[in-house]
Amino acid sequence: MIYKANILVVDDDRALCKSVVAALEKEGHTVDSAFSAEEAMEKIEKNVYALLFVDLMLPGKSGLELLTEVKETRPDVTVIMITGYPSIKTAVQAIKASAFDYIPKPFTPLEIRGLAARALEGRYTYEEMASKLHIKEERLVDVSIPPGIYCIHEHSWAKVEDDGNVRIGMHHALARTVKGVASIEFPAVNEMRFQGEACVRIVDTHDQVLRVWTPVTGMVVMVNEALNEQLSRLIYDPYESGWLVKIQPTHLEEELKNLSPVMQE
Amino acid sequence: MNAKFTSLKTRLIVHFSVVILVGAALYVIFGVRLIGTTVIRQAQDKVKLDLNTAREVYRGEIATLKQTVRLTAERFFLRDSIQNGERHTLLAELERIRRRESLDMLNLTDGEGRVIVKTQRPGVYGDRLERDTVDWAITHKTAAASTQVIPGEILEKEGTAIAEQARVKVIDTPRAYPRPAAAPGEERAGMVIGAAAPIFDRGGALTGVLCGETLLNHGYSMVDKVKAIVFKGEKYKGKDIGTVTVFLKDLRISTNVCTSDGKRAVGTRVSRDVYNRVLVEGLPWTGRAFVVNGWYITAYEPLRNLAGEIVGILYVGVLEAPYIDLKNRVIFYFFGITLLCVVLLIGTAYFTAARTTRPLNALTRAAGKVAHGDLDYRVPVESGDETGQLSEAFNRMTADLEKMTEGYRELNRTLENRIEEKSMELEEARDRLVQSEKLSGLGKMAAGVAHEINNPLTSILINAHLLKEELNAEPRFAENLKIIVDETARCASIVKDLLAFSRQTPPRIVSGDIRPVVEKAVLLLKNQASLQKVTVFNESAAGLPNVKMDAGKIEQVFTNIILNALDAMPGGGGLFITTGLTGDRFIAVTFRDEGCGIPAKVLTKVFDPFFTTKGVKGTGLGLSVSYGIVEQHGGRMDIRSEEGKGTTVTVYLPFK
Repeated sequence: MIYKANILVVDDDRALCKSVVAALEKEGHTVDSAFSAEEAMEKIEKNVYALLFVDLMLPGKSGLELLTEVKETRPDVTVIMITGYPSIKTAVQAIKASAFDYIPKPFTPLEIRGLAARALEGRYTYEEMASKLHIKEERLVDVSIPPGIYCIHEHSWAKVEDDGNVRIGMHHALARTVKGVASIEFPAVNEMRFQGEACVRIVDTHDQVLRVWTPVTGMVVMVNEALNEQLSRLIYDPYESGWLVKIQPTHLEEELKNLSPVMQE
Repeated sequence: MNAKFTSLKTRLIVHFSVVILVGAALYVIFGVRLIGTTVIRQAQDKVKLDLNTAREVYRGEIATLKQTVRLTAERFFLRDSIQNGERHTLLAELERIRRRESLDMLNLTDGEGRVIVKTQRPGVYGDRLERDTVDWAITHKTAAASTQVIPGEILEKEGTAIAEQARVKVIDTPRAYPRPAAAPGEERAGMVIGAAAPIFDRGGALTGVLCGETLLNHGYSMVDKVKAIVFKGEKYKGKDIGTVTVFLKDLRISTNVCTSDGKRAVGTRVSRDVYNRVLVEGLPWTGRAFVVNGWYITAYEPLRNLAGEIVGILYVGVLEAPYIDLKNRVIFYFFGITLLCVVLLIGTAYFTAARTTRPLNALTRAAGKVAHGDLDYRVPVESGDETGQLSEAFNRMTADLEKMTEGYRELNRTLENRIEEKSMELEEARDRLVQSEKLSGLGKMAAGVAHEINNPLTSILINAHLLKEELNAEPRFAENLKIIVDETARCASIVKDLLAFSRQTPPRIVSGDIRPVVEKAVLLLKNQASLQKVTVFNESAAGLPNVKMDAGKIEQVFTNIILNALDAMPGGGGLFITTGLTGDRFIAVTFRDEGCGIPAKVLTKVFDPFFTTKGVKGTGLGLSVSYGIVEQHGGRMDIRSEEGKGTTVTVYLPFK
């Protein structure tokens, strides 16, 4: 189900902007572009947008500042950041500042369309979505977040275990948007992952690729291969048996600042 | 500031010597004085005794004379002859007696004192015999004897011989009492010892007096007798040791003092002092006097007549010379002994001072040596007294000083070592910092490049995809577009790897044991290993020193190596891990697998970044990253392999 919406792409690289606009328009969205945060704000005041794609690196006012401003004036607007690798940490901070997600460059049209779709879907309430998607109720389980957890807001969680390692998994809010899991691509043990990088790639039953960003930097020490035998556990039980990877953190204390502590729903 | 240096030894010796000499001097002075006075007193006492003896002899003489006269007076013949008026018989007999008794005068008077017989002048008779003794005999009717001075004119009655003998020429004597100018130059009076005894007739009436006398003037028997008795005629160096003199008043009339030409020194007079004391005051006088030819210790005492009047002087003189010589001899010996003692004492003082100060000199030298740094030097401890204790204390102090100095040297060495250590550590840390700076600089550059590339890359990628979507129907572009898409994706991948490679955080170095890190890496991959039927053997030597490392990164290196080993043994096998020391700087962790091995020409590229043999799956970044990490730690990584047999990877980490 594709929801068409008004989208604004903000990037100072015109070629990139054009490319993104073209990719999104092909989905049927109405897409505008702006080349600076100021220009974006002008357009936002004039028009109503459902979704914003904002590059973190903007001349003048930064993407993060634009995000904050937008969330103050138009809190209902969903904002997604476009990041380069150097600004991934900032991207994680952006999520804390209420960005919906971020997408690192380079990305394919498929990826950005999928992300747009997920974002737009998320705009609807749980009940609305359930009715729209004709999803069986039992699929959507009310979960409560266990204590001692840090999150990239509504995206992924990190739990510090007794052995000092961090267990990582998908946030239930994100899990709900996944219709069905076709496969999970785990990282190799011993690989390094940095905060905000994709640690797990999930391909859903509609061939949509979902990348889960790791909340902490560290070396992968274990992956939940057992999940491969029952993929639905990822959606039903994202905090317990649906965990994804275990990481030996390297900069845990610093990085927790960028994360949101447990938020009871 | 330095007082003039007089050695302690000298001072001690000088002080002692002064004391000894002063003491000796006082000793000598008083001793000599004492000896002198003692000797003198001895001599004087002797003289007094001798005078006593002389007096006794004199009196004895008088007593003998008295006895003689009395006994003679009692002879019947005398009485009878007087009675009968037989003058001639009396004369002959009395003359005979006179000669026999060696008297100078023997006179017989009647009961009234008129001369009956004068033995010296037979023809003279009838005149009065003027004598005290006669008068006494007449008066008291007992015998009397004494010294008597008979005036010149009376003496003349005795005859010219007597008168002649009595004549004494008065010699000028310097210190004598001055004679009156009118006095004659010679003395005519005669001093006699005489005795008179009454003669009684049958009826008991006084009928006569017998008077016998010895003239002392020029008469030497008495004085010689005294001398013989008292002094026994002894001489000392040719001089008489003692002399005796009788004085008539102050005139020497009888003596055995001889002049230098051997004659008896008659006619000289006594000194004024003696005159006053003896003749005037009637007291004895003792003193030292030069008599004719020598010094004598003299004693004078008055001679009295019957009436008790002082008529002359009795003198005894003892030669001073023997006493003086004795005194001198004693003093000489005394002095000699004292001198000897002084010499001995000063010698002892010298010796003692030297002995006492020698250790001090030794100490002074030792202090000098120690000050120059010779801390081994010890002072010999010679005695148990204070200087010995000082020497011991000095030695102890030097020993302590030695220990302290050694301690300081030790401390110094330790400090130097520490400083060296720290310097080396600092250098290593600085190198690592420089290295990581380089890396981060590189990383920043890489990040910047990647960032720049990512934008055009994204545009290309998107448009390639969009084109592909558009031209999907037309197969002739499919190939090209696929290539574009794939290669762009590959570019993206390379950029991503480049960023991942250069985005390494600087290691946090902490000292720790390497073995748990190895164990952790093994544990991590245990499941995978057992799935692949790979047996892991993990051995490590005991007592390994701690390594300075970032444990997390080193674990990453080990897991990387183990994973590669597992990948090389898909069908199973053995993985041998050993940890131990090599050389004196490194710990070596060796991973040996029994896998497919790496061909020689590939082996050289193994540590290159992006090199992979794993096909699409691996990024091939692991080993080069591991290599980089190990290098960051100041270590080394090397790899050996034999195709078909296996591969050995060794990680060297420094521990010093």
